[in-house]
Amino acid sequence: MHSKNQIQEMHAALRWEMNLAKVSVEKVGSLRNIHSSSTLLKNEPFATDYGEKSEHKGEGDKSLVTHDDLFERVAQESRTKATFSRVLDVFVRQDIRRRGHVEFIYAALKKMPEFGVERDLAVYNKVLDIFPKEVFVPRNFIQRMFNHYPRQQECGVQVLEQMENYGLTPNVETKVLLVQIFGEKSHPMRKFQRLMYWFPRFKDMNPFPIPHQLPQDPLDLARFSLSRIANDLDAKVTVHQMPFTDISETGEEVSQPYVVGIQSPDQCHLLAKHNTSRPLFVEGPFALWLRQTCVHYYVLRADPLPPEEKVKEPVDPERCFFYPLELDLDLELDRDLGDDDSFNVDEVEEGPVFAMCMAGQGDQATLAKWISGLQETNPILGRTATVFRLESGPRELQSTAEPEPDLQPHHHL
Amino acid sequence: MALTPLKQLATLHRGALLTLLPPHGPLVCGSRINFLGEYRRPGQPRDNTPPWKKIRFNFAKGVEAIQQDLTSLKDEVFGRFVGPQGRTLKEHLLEQTFVQWEFRGPESLSNWIVSSDREIGGRSEAYLKLGRNNSTCLLYGTLCSIPPRDGETSYSGYCTVRSKQPLKSFGRKKHYDWSNFNTVHLRVRGDGRPWMINIGTEMYFSHHKNDMYNFFLYTRGGPYWQDVKIPFSKFFLSSQGRIQDNQHPIQVDKVNTIGFTLGDQADGPFQLEIDFIALCNDRAHTEEFAYELYKRNPEV
Repeated sequence: MHSKNQIQEMHAALRWEMNLAKVSVEKVGSLRNIHSSSTLLKNEPFATDYGEKSEHKGEGDKSLVTHDDLFERVAQESRTKATFSRVLDVFVRQDIRRRGHVEFIYAALKKMPEFGVERDLAVYNKVLDIFPKEVFVPRNFIQRMFNHYPRQQECGVQVLEQMENYGLTPNVETKVLLVQIFGEKSHPMRKFQRLMYWFPRFKDMNPFPIPHQLPQDPLDLARFSLSRIANDLDAKVTVHQMPFTDISETGEEVSQPYVVGIQSPDQCHLLAKHNTSRPLFVEGPFALWLRQTCVHYYVLRADPLPPEEKVKEPVDPERCFFYPLELDLDLELDRDLGDDDSFNVDEVEEGPVFAMCMAGQGDQATLAKWISGLQETNPILGRTATVFRLESGPRELQSTAEPEPDLQPHHHL
Repeated sequence: MALTPLKQLATLHRGALLTLLPPHGPLVCGSRINFLGEYRRPGQPRDNTPPWKKIRFNFAKGVEAIQQDLTSLKDEVFGRFVGPQGRTLKEHLLEQTFVQWEFRGPESLSNWIVSSDREIGGRSEAYLKLGRNNSTCLLYGTLCSIPPRDGETSYSGYCTVRSKQPLKSFGRKKHYDWSNFNTVHLRVRGDGRPWMINIGTEMYFSHHKNDMYNFFLYTRGGPYWQDVKIPFSKFFLSSQGRIQDNQHPIQVDKVNTIGFTLGDQADGPFQLEIDFIALCNDRAHTEEFAYELYKRNPEV
């Protein structure tokens, strides 16, 4: 932060410099002299070689100096937050007038994802700090009425918009910077106010939250995604096979992929009641998106029951002691329409889902290990035919009415 | 009505309507003046063909349209004797739930319009079809968020589906009246991506034609269906993709369209399966509007 005195000093120096530049234009009338005069007047010489190089290049061709250059040169070493902020420091120290700061900020915004700092609030504040302070604040009502320094304001809004797109909520430091740079009622300040209005409201809107940093370990990722899609807190995640890579005696690399499955007690009961004459299907892979990453899972399911095989389960009379859950009266008990909260649609006929899994590889051998692992808790799997309906690519999630004839059933005994 | 001649002129210039409807249709319907014009891709020349050249007169089509119009006119007239909007008064007053859209059969897809950023030069693809058991609607495709290289467009990557504007006889606009209900109820199955629900309502002024009321639809993913209830009070006003400063609650008696948009910048395949879109009356929900307004220009 600049204190008031510092800023006033800067102003004075700036005005003096500008006067001098005007004088030099009048005297010599060449653009080169403006540049040289400004370099002479620099009160703080820069020490890093990036800055010197850039200045050197700048003299080579004056017409178009892009600020991407500065980032590109640094990017040859490493693309980190440290180097990014060093580039910003170099630019700030280069020129007290911050000449070309709008172009530089646009270049910096573009380079941020490359340096991996696009979700770093401190860096955004540092980028905003490049703007000279108090120069663009309107001082009288006419300036306030019209769009004061529109290019600079647009640039400030663009910084905030990039923050918005990456879902970053600005903090107090951002606000102080914006007030210092553009004033209280400027466009960037309005943008800031809008962000501060909407972002806290929408921040925790997702009922199925996903962390920004997903777990790196594929097992943990599989656990997270499976418990997300299972939608049952009682569901138990089982690691059927741990991943490992080993080099066997013959020198071949032996690796086995991980197999992680999930099954809830309800699914277990459903599977126990399954008619063994009807085959079970292993289907997949289906896609699941966790922010930017896509994982695939497999499903063990059966076809929907034909209507003649459907049995209506009698309601356990001990489930509720206070009132009967079923009334076997032969009356026309039409519920009042105002009490009817059900939807007048037909149920979608779909087969039950018995278990889900994620595996390192989607081939039949790997998934057969899942099925054999499931057999420990579901002995019915040993007596039922299991058909693998796997596809190489992701496919739509649908229960098919008829199995494809070209797939051979795979029996587990 | 000083605006009427201008209105007629504007509707005449909308060639798309003219090709679909017989010539008497658009003159009767109260569509708005199109000040902003349709979207034109940067770098593409303006369409300067005069409107009369866009009329593709087809006698068979005209007869068919008039038949449809007369049929719907008959339904409208005789529906009045049954009750408001062709339904009994008891239903109209007492119903707590109403299934507005369900997907049971191929003709249910004809009420929907799919579009993607192909229109602005992007590379996303979106398709709509019936699910395999012919009782759900499956929206699938690929999302690609690379912006088109036309020098102006900076963001891209969306896929959207929208219901068609309902029409009465002779091309007049009809609006859904959802004032009995306070909640949208959806039964969906997604793949974990967040979607956005857009409700378009009838606005009075022409510069409001891009206004929409939005809310988020988060999907869980996985093989199970998901019931989502979104109260109308949560919907916020936006125009052309920007949330507006002046918020006001949605006018539920003048709803034109509902839509779903995906634009989460995650490139890859997506799918959303919709079972039905219904409305219900959640008696536990008493909120009128979720977004309070602050003083507009406070002394700072």
